[in-house]
Amino acid sequence: MIGPAFALARREFTRFMRQPQRVVGTVAQPILFWLFLGSGFNASFHSPGMGGSSYLEYFYPGVMLMMMLFASIFSSITIIEDRDAGFLQSVLVAPVSRMAIVLGKVFGGVAIAMVQTLIFTIAAPFLGLHLGLGSLVFLVGAYVLSSIGFAAMGFFFAWSMRSSAGFHAIMMVFLMPLWMLSGALFPIENAPGWLHAAMTVNPVAHALVLMRGPFYMQPAELLADSKWLLALGVTILWGGGFLLASMARVEKREKGAAL
Amino acid sequence: MIQIENLTYVYPASRKTPARKAIDNLSLSIAEGQFSILSGPNGSGKSTLFRILCGMAYPSAGSVRIGGFDLLKEPAKARGQMGVVFQSPAVDKHLTVAENLKLHADLYGLSGRDLYERMDEATGWTDLADRLNDKVITLSGGLARQVELAKCLLTRPRLLLLDEPTTGLDPSSRRNFVDALHKIQKGRRMTVLMTSHIFSEAEDADRVAIMKDGVLLANDSPQVLRGQLGREMVVVQSRNAESLEARIRLGLNLATRRHGDEIRLEETDNGDSLPILEKLLAAYRSEIDSIAIKQPALEDVFIHLTGKTAAETEQTGDAA
Repeated sequence: MIGPAFALARREFTRFMRQPQRVVGTVAQPILFWLFLGSGFNASFHSPGMGGSSYLEYFYPGVMLMMMLFASIFSSITIIEDRDAGFLQSVLVAPVSRMAIVLGKVFGGVAIAMVQTLIFTIAAPFLGLHLGLGSLVFLVGAYVLSSIGFAAMGFFFAWSMRSSAGFHAIMMVFLMPLWMLSGALFPIENAPGWLHAAMTVNPVAHALVLMRGPFYMQPAELLADSKWLLALGVTILWGGGFLLASMARVEKREKGAAL
Repeated sequence: MIQIENLTYVYPASRKTPARKAIDNLSLSIAEGQFSILSGPNGSGKSTLFRILCGMAYPSAGSVRIGGFDLLKEPAKARGQMGVVFQSPAVDKHLTVAENLKLHADLYGLSGRDLYERMDEATGWTDLADRLNDKVITLSGGLARQVELAKCLLTRPRLLLLDEPTTGLDPSSRRNFVDALHKIQKGRRMTVLMTSHIFSEAEDADRVAIMKDGVLLANDSPQVLRGQLGREMVVVQSRNAESLEARIRLGLNLATRRHGDEIRLEETDNGDSLPILEKLLAAYRSEIDSIAIKQPALEDVFIHLTGKTAAETEQTGDAA
């Protein structure tokens, strides 16, 4: 299963690297968001839930999450393209585990998100966030888990879509709001009750807690922090659940009606 | 190699369309090492059959065995036996030829020294030798098709399924592709099942199966099929074919068939064709645009059995 999944993931990555516009676009867009929104709100936005950090700093992990969201959206759209172009059919008739097909796409998306977020991590010291080796390992772990969640969720929705225009609709009304309500833009603490409730059950909000942790706490503290451990559990369930659900979708064959 | 028994496939009813039976209790068996062509007009169920054979659709009833494995119960084992060339391209156009071959090898778990041998063997017959590091998108249609076939050969399949593989190729590329396919099939003693509308491709096949409305109408060698139509026939083209047909049938007391503005007198005994042609010319000269004596070809068998010409079949496009 791992061999075919790896080969498919490598294909995703190769294709990504061969489209320089896509590389530039996906790296530059969140950075522009961060610089413009972050700097713009920096002076006017000092809310209690931010723990005294500047908005530029507060928004920083949220932008990471946004990169993963976009990487997942782009790689999910390639599912629709692969189906259109015909490539997908040769993968489907190959004697490979259906999970390998899911993992190939998901890990391809994760690898692309990793390149972007790791580049963006270079900005951390300039915000006064200093990471030890231990924290860095935890941070990368959090990146991987969160982007698996996004990529698997994207896969799940894109699999049955026949047009990328339809997927854009899903993206705008479902995927983007998940990010908006993750605490990436504003702290969960100050949100009105109904919004607070929605944010609490949003797995993306937990992924953000998971990623924010290593910037401010040592590994040992994280492992003792119940909020962080809950976030870890939710993020793993989120990714794992969508991986399994996606596999079930891929496994489903067109079925003739019963006689 | 392939045993299909009592296969039925019904497309489920939806809000707008009632349930439709695409394959109706079909049984067909294809022997090891045979080169078979599957043909039929649009909506005959051949594309559905193809999708079932490559494991992408699950039938309503019946069984399919491929190389001894039950396709419905052990899909992975059955899939491992076959290579599939689809009508639409199934290679990644943005990767090079070599990258596509490597990816395919990875999907089938091939690696190591053996792989290089297989790569040489799979591309040996092609014109791709100096194009291996070019992206597929830069290749001509004919070369891109060669990549599809080469890719499938990499896994040394015992069974090769092809769905109208020459669609969109010019006649000479088409000829080259089919010739190469025949040569490879003989060299490796593969079983080949190919769907096609193009009857020039079917003349060299071992078996030609013709489907219509989900039922198998014929499955025999091209010689036997042609034999069903007598040896010769008279074909008349006319602008008022409809009325002319009626008059010929009554006036000359001959069995006729009409397809559009073409009238065919198929059941002609040997040697009778010329006198019939002369009689027709004498009687209806002014209404006849052209008239000819023809040796029946496979296409004529197709028209005889399905009541449709291959051109009519192709015009409507094959979506089913």
